[in-house]
Amino acid sequence: MFKELDPLLHSQLRLAVISILIGSEEADFVFIKEKTNATAGNLSVQIEKLREAGYISVEKAFRGKMPRTTCRITKEGIQAFEKYVAALNSYLKPK
Amino acid sequence: MENVLNEKESLDLIGQMINTAKKNLQKGTGKIFLLWGYLLAGISLCTFILLVYLPRETGYYAYFLWFLMAFGYPFHYWLVKKMRNERLVKTYIEKLMTWVWIGLIVSILVVVFGMLIDTVLVYQFTKDMKVGNDFIRWFQWIFLTPFLLCLYGFALFVSGKAYEFKPLVIGGIICFMASFFLILSVHKTGTLSFQQLVLCLSAVVGFVIPGHMLNRKERRDV
Repeated sequence: MFKELDPLLHSQLRLAVISILIGSEEADFVFIKEKTNATAGNLSVQIEKLREAGYISVEKAFRGKMPRTTCRITKEGIQAFEKYVAALNSYLKPK
Repeated sequence: MENVLNEKESLDLIGQMINTAKKNLQKGTGKIFLLWGYLLAGISLCTFILLVYLPRETGYYAYFLWFLMAFGYPFHYWLVKKMRNERLVKTYIEKLMTWVWIGLIVSILVVVFGMLIDTVLVYQFTKDMKVGNDFIRWFQWIFLTPFLLCLYGFALFVSGKAYEFKPLVIGGIICFMASFFLILSVHKTGTLSFQQLVLCLSAVVGFVIPGHMLNRKERRDV
């Protein structure tokens, strides 16, 4: 039986964002944009979708004089990511 | 705008992205090493000189110089604040290392202030100080420097391994060896001033040299 892949994560940019956040405690919008080569507009839309699903938390604040957007993965996000990877594995190694 | 992936592409993407931040060394780390390294080296060198030139009975006044370490904190705070404003990503390694160093500072303060309070209280309230007692209290202080040296050698060693930065690992190992050597030489005359000299050298090897190398690495990586 194939498990269903989480449609929220099964998209290139959203999966990239979640993977970056899995590997770090927190990451700035600028950092994610740089690493994913995404446009600012597209990235904001995808980040908002992940935030709405409760997979990540987004904090907007001023640090010094610069406005900063900081993203962190939530517990739900980690669970969803683990489920997604497990589902991927069941596709690649079907019994 | 949404590219749909196949399973193989998904796994490749995860593998690529998950490690992007892993070895990121925060810009400004070198300056923090330099701040504490020069302070440590300077104070231990001054203490060494005072210990050599002050008369034997008042020699211990030289150790009050160590309270000057507290003046490093405002500068440290300012550097960290600047780093925080510029930081784009915080890795788990950085989080862990921050707590290792905070744990180290707490350990040092616990030992130093515990011993200070004990010594002061005993001198205040024990009027009939016996020679034997006096000797034991003096003798515990002689192990303080090697102990602290070993402790910060540990923090340097772990940081170096975590960031995969060799100069820090080497600095840590040299601190371990220096500590061992000092413990073996506690019974030698002049050991207290000698300890300060070794401390000064270990600060140069453990903090100042890696600090400058980190600074250079930061400039090159940007």
